[in-house]
Amino acid sequence: MMTKDLDIPATQSTPAIRSEWARGRLYMDGNSYPENSFEFFTEVFDWIQAHLSTTDGPLHLELGLIYMNTSSVKAMMDIFDMLEEAWADTRDIAVNWYYDPRNERVMEMAEEFREDYTFPFHILPTPREAP
Amino acid sequence: MSEIDLFGLRRQFHHGQILLCFNGPISRGLIEEIGNALRNYLEADNTLPGAAMDVFAIYIELTQNIRHYVTRMGYDDRDGSATVVVARNDQGRHVIMSGNLTQPEDAVRLQQRVAELAAMDKTELKAAYKAQLRQPRTRSALSGAGLGLVDVARKSVEPLQAQVSVIPDDERVLFSLRAVV
Repeated sequence: MMTKDLDIPATQSTPAIRSEWARGRLYMDGNSYPENSFEFFTEVFDWIQAHLSTTDGPLHLELGLIYMNTSSVKAMMDIFDMLEEAWADTRDIAVNWYYDPRNERVMEMAEEFREDYTFPFHILPTPREAP
Repeated sequence: MSEIDLFGLRRQFHHGQILLCFNGPISRGLIEEIGNALRNYLEADNTLPGAAMDVFAIYIELTQNIRHYVTRMGYDDRDGSATVVVARNDQGRHVIMSGNLTQPEDAVRLQQRVAELAAMDKTELKAAYKAQLRQPRTRSALSGAGLGLVDVARKSVEPLQAQVSVIPDDERVLFSLRAVV
């Protein structure tokens, strides 16, 4: 079974979300501060759940998330909890979180997430654009 | 109708180094638009990206908390009005204040929670944040003083301050919060 891939354009308060089912990639980029984050991320939960339960290939999250409100942080924790469970089940799981080194807050937030998980979690400063 | 002293009001804005002020019913769209204006002001003011994000984050958590409370209580536009102020202080920091009407018992409960958070150091606040993050969603939502408040307390460089003001001829009170980053 193959679930339809996600291709959600960014809005002012929600990130762009794109997925590649066959490769096992999920991309999320931008700011995330919707009023009801749980509702917003439902599609993402469903896609990840479907991928984890119907395939056994890798699942890597490629994140360029910047500002997240607390309800988005909570939703992201739910996502990482799903990944942790799959990782414990010997699944190929990874999170790569890219950030602009000029804003250290993003790195701090990503590091605080990483503390609670054991799957490969890389926090990478994106190359600074040439001036 | 009372005469409005625009000159006096303007002078007070200037004197208080008020960057942004809003008073009235807030919608989701309005929170985003004012948030945009705030970001632009901070950028024009050469605020560093990390510091600007702290100000923006506190603004979002405080206003979204008010929105959630107003929705839960079923307040109309008038009762659901929020007052939001972002100002500079003499140390060059940003002061973010918000106020809204609440039931007196909710204000007392929130004030107690703010006092608890204000007494915590960085490590204790982080532990409180992570504990709150693990709370079931329903319980956190019902408490109305959940993750957002802990997040604001963590970001504030001065202990979070809460004030409860009695409103004449109204059973409700004005609950206000003050954070500094």
